[in-house]
Amino acid sequence: MTDVYMAVCITELAIITLLLIRLAKGPSVADRIVALNTISTQAAIAVLFFAAFADRSVYLDVALWLSSFSFLSALVWSRYLERGLL
Amino acid sequence: MTIAVIVLCAIGLFFSLSGAVGILRMPDVYTRIQCSSKVITMGALPLLVALAIAEGPVTEFAGRALFVGFFTLVLSPAATHALARSSYKTGVPMWKGSVLDEPRQLEQQRKDQQP
Repeated sequence: MTDVYMAVCITELAIITLLLIRLAKGPSVADRIVALNTISTQAAIAVLFFAAFADRSVYLDVALWLSSFSFLSALVWSRYLERGLL
Repeated sequence: MTIAVIVLCAIGLFFSLSGAVGILRMPDVYTRIQCSSKVITMGALPLLVALAIAEGPVTEFAGRALFVGFFTLVLSPAATHALARSSYKTGVPMWKGSVLDEPRQLEQQRKDQQP
């Protein structure tokens, strides 16, 4: 089962590398935010599977943090784009 | 058990990979947002369910995985909607082959009715 965990983790990292291209060359800020939101969700899944691979339950909180803060960052960025600071 | 886990992981990875390619290749912001929602619903949830099945349903891995799945399932449509709204309001251009722009049509109708 640990082979499956490591395979999922490495494939998620490859997907993140694909998304980093869009993050680097996105023409508008909204493109970059979409790519960043997807990257943090994929990173949360990669961290979860790495925690199951290494059998450490400490890393699970990192995944929870990543998934909740991807939501927060997308919301805050879109609010900033729409009406500026404040 | 192992076969179910592998099948769920394959489904999730396939959808995540195709969604990432879609985000990379789609022509404008709104279609990219649609691809990112595909990554989250069909890509992340089977992977989290696979982790919950593989570790057993009452371990802390499974609980945390299902919690992350609930988070992404509930919160990411809200974030996506806010992002699409703000990018429309700040005037990010649509793809030139797009055929329908309903808010602009409604505004045009309202202008025509008021003399």
